Amino acid sequence: MNKISEKGALIKKVSGYQTAILDFFQDLFEKNIFDAVMLPMKIPSGDSFAWIMIKDKKILNNAQPLAPIMPVNAAKALKRYTRKGKGTLKIAALMKPCEIRATVELTKLNQVNLDDVTLFSYDCVGAIPMQDYIADPKTGDEKFEKMLSENNLNHNDVKPVCKICDNFSLSATDLHFGFNADKLFLVTNSKKGENLLQKLDLKAETDLQKWQKAIDEKKKKRVKKREETFKTVKTKVEGFSKLTETFADCIGCHNCQSSCPICYCRQCYFDTSAAKPNSDVVLMRAKDRGATSLPLDRIMFHTGRMAHMSLSCVSCGLCSDACPVNIPVAKIFSYVAAQTQETFEYSAGASVGDALPMKEYKLNELGELGEMVKSAEAQEGEHE
Amino acid sequence: MGLKSRTVMVIGAGIAGIQASLDLAEMGLDVHLVEETPTIGGRMPQLDKTFPTNDCSMCILAPKMSECARHDNITIHINSQIDSVIGNPGDFTAKIIEKAKYVDPEKCVSCGLCEEKCPVKIDDEFDEGLRTRGAISRYFLQSIPAEYTIDEENCLYLTKGVCQLCEKVCPADAINYEDEDKKIELNVGAVIVSTGIDPFDPIGFGHFGYHKFENVVTSLDFERMLSASGPMGGHVVRASDKKEPKSIAFIQCVGSRDESIDHNYCSSACCMFAIKEATIAKEHIKDLSPSIFYMDIRAFGKDFDKYYEKAKDTYNVDFVKSKVSEITEENNGDLKLRYVLENGDVKFKTFDMVVLSIGLQPRKNVPKLADKLDIKLNEYGFIRSDKFNPLQTTRKGIYVCGTANEPKDIPESVISSSGAVAEALKYLRLDRQELEEKKNAVPQIDETGDRPRVGTFVCHCGINIAGVVDVKNVAEESAKLPNVEHSEDLMYACSQDCMNTIKKRIKEHNLNRVVVAACTPRTHEPLFRETISEAGLNPYLFEMANIRDQCSWAHMDEPEKATEKSKDLVNMGVAKARNITSLDRLPIEINPKSLVIGAGLAGMTTALSIAESGHEVFLIEKENELGGNMRKIFYNFGNDPQVKLQDMIKKISDNELIHLYKNTEISEISGYIGNFKTKIIDKDTNKDKFLEHGAVIVATGANEHKTKEYCYGESDRIITQVEFEKMLHEGAFPKQKLKNVVMIQCVGSREKERMYCSRVCCTKSIKNALTLKEKFPNVNIYVAYRDIRTYGFREKYYTQLRDKGAMFINYDVDNKPDVKIVDEFDPDSKVNVTVFDPIMDKEVEVEADLLVLAAAIDAPEENNDLAKMLKISLNTDGMFLEAHVKLRPVDFATEGIFVAGLAHHPKDMDETIAQSKAAASRAMTFLNKKAILAEGTIAEINTARCTGCGYCEEVCAYKAIEVDPEEEVAVINDALCKGCGACVASCRCGALDLRGFSNEQLFAAFDSLEMTDILINN
Repeated sequence: MNKISEKGALIKKVSGYQTAILDFFQDLFEKNIFDAVMLPMKIPSGDSFAWIMIKDKKILNNAQPLAPIMPVNAAKALKRYTRKGKGTLKIAALMKPCEIRATVELTKLNQVNLDDVTLFSYDCVGAIPMQDYIADPKTGDEKFEKMLSENNLNHNDVKPVCKICDNFSLSATDLHFGFNADKLFLVTNSKKGENLLQKLDLKAETDLQKWQKAIDEKKKKRVKKREETFKTVKTKVEGFSKLTETFADCIGCHNCQSSCPICYCRQCYFDTSAAKPNSDVVLMRAKDRGATSLPLDRIMFHTGRMAHMSLSCVSCGLCSDACPVNIPVAKIFSYVAAQTQETFEYSAGASVGDALPMKEYKLNELGELGEMVKSAEAQEGEHE
Repeated sequence: MGLKSRTVMVIGAGIAGIQASLDLAEMGLDVHLVEETPTIGGRMPQLDKTFPTNDCSMCILAPKMSECARHDNITIHINSQIDSVIGNPGDFTAKIIEKAKYVDPEKCVSCGLCEEKCPVKIDDEFDEGLRTRGAISRYFLQSIPAEYTIDEENCLYLTKGVCQLCEKVCPADAINYEDEDKKIELNVGAVIVSTGIDPFDPIGFGHFGYHKFENVVTSLDFERMLSASGPMGGHVVRASDKKEPKSIAFIQCVGSRDESIDHNYCSSACCMFAIKEATIAKEHIKDLSPSIFYMDIRAFGKDFDKYYEKAKDTYNVDFVKSKVSEITEENNGDLKLRYVLENGDVKFKTFDMVVLSIGLQPRKNVPKLADKLDIKLNEYGFIRSDKFNPLQTTRKGIYVCGTANEPKDIPESVISSSGAVAEALKYLRLDRQELEEKKNAVPQIDETGDRPRVGTFVCHCGINIAGVVDVKNVAEESAKLPNVEHSEDLMYACSQDCMNTIKKRIKEHNLNRVVVAACTPRTHEPLFRETISEAGLNPYLFEMANIRDQCSWAHMDEPEKATEKSKDLVNMGVAKARNITSLDRLPIEINPKSLVIGAGLAGMTTALSIAESGHEVFLIEKENELGGNMRKIFYNFGNDPQVKLQDMIKKISDNELIHLYKNTEISEISGYIGNFKTKIIDKDTNKDKFLEHGAVIVATGANEHKTKEYCYGESDRIITQVEFEKMLHEGAFPKQKLKNVVMIQCVGSREKERMYCSRVCCTKSIKNALTLKEKFPNVNIYVAYRDIRTYGFREKYYTQLRDKGAMFINYDVDNKPDVKIVDEFDPDSKVNVTVFDPIMDKEVEVEADLLVLAAAIDAPEENNDLAKMLKISLNTDGMFLEAHVKLRPVDFATEGIFVAGLAHHPKDMDETIAQSKAAASRAMTFLNKKAILAEGTIAEINTARCTGCGYCEEVCAYKAIEVDPEEEVAVINDALCKGCGACVASCRCGALDLRGFSNEQLFAAFDSLEMTDILINN
């Protein structure tokens, strides 16, 4: 049961948000509340980040809680630790709201176990596209720090899906770091979160109205922007020929699938021989049509992945980051996901308690589809 | 007694007759199904939707109809009547007359050209005269048999010797004017009568103006108007000006509950029928205002009250408790209703249309049939049966089911049919069947390793397909497809000669896959599968492309595109066919013993019924005594339940095949159909024991609700009806003379937590009141009620009690009677009951010597545990949820498990007996086989890809798939899998596949489309 507190606990902040949050986790270690903390850390070459599970307090100093990029979705990292059920460590994990959502989806699919995990999220300013960052990490870091300090949620340098994301704040987490007017405060969102706050002897006394109002306003802008973007996406994917055209550049590397946090399969169906037609069939078809393009499975791969994943897609945008030929996969998936999820009145990652769409049957579900069938029937009636 | 006969005659092929025939045939017995009209199906095909699920009536019936037609053991005699039945049970000789059809069914291809050309136009019976038919016709589009017949009374040639047009246009040379009536003699062991009902004809009710005012229709007319396949295509307009009605009045009890026409019974179905029609009409016409004029709303069946509430709340149906006295027509065709409210006020209201909710009455020819069968009718003209033998007619060996002996809804009809089968078994020889062996089976060719050699057959279906699609071109093009060795077009692929052609081509071209491009696999796939297996191919080496529904029908105005699409569909069919393989159906051995849980009336009846058919039964009872709730029932309108109970207890202890375990609990049940294993614990000794059995019957009953309302428990003068019945029986009345007795109905029923009717309480209260009146004729009885629901023949007792002067006061659920104990400190104080009486339009106060509460029937909490053990479901009220509320009311979705009695839903004793016998009969359909075959098209798992996420486990309705916690992969139980494919669709890893519909096969089909080819297409 989610229990959103009406007030937040103010966290001591001397310099930036990064340091304040790091200090907070240091404090958790001091108090022996957790055995390990999962945070991003810059890799030695300096142009990317990795998730690390930190047991050593000293190493924690090198972590960077708010990373400018998202090379791996945190849900995928957490899965490595908890796939086999609850482990021996009590873990605190800090992630972006979209990573929280992915974690929630994977929890429902028994790929993540949250029994001993306390989730933290924060007001996300978005992530910088991987290719931009790797090309110039220094500028990337500067830009990101600027965004953070200005708390600028409408920045142009973030990934395309981040620009249209309206789920950048409080999510299905235990605790959430809110940023407002240079202040940092902690909002609890579960019983687990409340208990922790008590243990830390933190008092939730800061009024959240201003913060919430600011978030709501930003959300509104994002939603508007999203609608506009989706209009453009629609023109690219509607109808079979448009769809084939858009995916014609695909080189079939399947990077989008291997980076996707929701694609949890041991082996992707599309990587198996079952998804590839027999050679004699290909030859026969070439003979029949004069030619046939190879390989044949591009559209099948993408539409198949959509069918499998769109109900759980959290729009984290990793697929676009991973695409070497710049197909706007993330925007397309986000567009399709918005519609499939709406059909089932489902929002991926919103709550561990929401049943996956196919797991439950509602008496009045698929209303729109029902309407469509009815109007088709009515037309048929008139036709006769 | 050495029984010889293995043959049964079933008279009447409505849903009841069909169900009885299928059950008997499944047990390996031979059935002659005799039907008066030219088709099987009865009334159900005329219905648009069925309440309370709004399932399409024909969609749920059609599979049963075609199963009936295809079953080797069932012989259908249409256009037939009974001439005589002589002899004794077990050895009857029945003579039937099969009337001439004038069309050779072997030759007729049902193309319909004959009817198109027939100059005669007669009001069509199926569409209630809303359209016309020819003298040669097919009863309705999906009739079975599908062949046309000539109606000799209207045929110009047969009556006047002119015309013969049908003969000229028939492409199949099927017309035979020389055809004659056939007399057939059958030797049968038992007879089941399921002749159904006639709808009441309101033509005699002049004040309602049926046939006089164009916009007055019957509920059955209206059903045809609503039906999408009906003459109006579901677009309801009134006859006078073809305008959509904006207001419709439904008038209830037309021909029911009416002593003036000797119909002093309730037709049981019309209230729900009207509510359904009102809500469906509202769905068709959004701004419609439907009103229902009623005396009592009798929504007494499972989930009916929820449906009723929804009609009020969601669909804004206006329910007016009143009596309509007259309808007059206005100049514009509108209809003015004159009606009288409860308080005597006369009102008028005008409507665009009026629907008369006509009742059910005995069929016109029933007296004649009863005469031929030498069975008796009851006071209403229905076939007579009695309370404790509800399926038995007055002649031994002849049984009755469906509505022939009392008006009832579809599920009760289906229940009584299976029940009648159990009764008929008494006079039949049952041999345990070997694994089904097809007659003259052809040895199967092994196609593994061979290159696919596909044959494609494209059907013209007369002009049905060929009228739009260029069938020849489709066939020519398909010949060019990879692996296609042979291709041809056929006039009627499903006709006998074309089937022979297909078999011949398989041999000639050594084909090992067959694709038929024709109509829908739903109706025709089984037929073609059988055909190819007759040519030695595994039946699963077959694919169908539906170029009728999806091409010629859907695109009838665009023939070129329809042809292109047909080619694509055939192309996809061939691509899939290349990838299909033979499938085996694994045999599942059947343990013939069964487990009956609960030894009340339901459990005892089922156990006896199964044991009498020769199979062992474990009967489990948690209490120390047998009888359950029946122990508390002492009266039943002249029948003595206690005598019946003692008789049953004796029979059970005398029957060696019944192993009784009293004072015993069940702690574990595992396994599946034919192979269950149950752990039972003796509550005294705490010793456990394992039982092995093939079937499970859930007969766990229900409890009387313990109410907190109306000061129950605070005074000895406030008791429940069950307690009152005991008091009547034992004579333990309060000391002073009884003056006033008040009864309150619906205590706990039909309210938020229990939004269902407990069904028996109205009749029970009336029964107890009548018994009381016998003992104390001067006592005043007041019954505070919401709707009196004395359905069927129970209506008579309601009339009797009113005649004896009992006061019936209608109360509203929002203004319940108020109960006060007069003197709280006097333990023997009288009770004051205050209730608003709408007739007198004021509050009435009664000082009651006794207040009797009709407490609801509650589902026991233990149902939860049992449901988990058996992997079956409960409905929101905690009652066991059957496989289908209309057509599978005794089965569960999980095979091998059945339900009977109160565990299913509150019901009367005769209904419990019928359902218990039905449960026995349904179990016997497979207990009588040594083994059954599992489905061929079942799911399979590739464990290398499975992540064990468990999504599949949760979507499986049959509990056929589980994640192994050790291996973390899903495991399928082949015996339980029904091949629905839900798990496959849910699996995001592609680890699951459905045999015969594998990802590989479907991808191949999709991939074969030219449009998927990026370069070539653009």
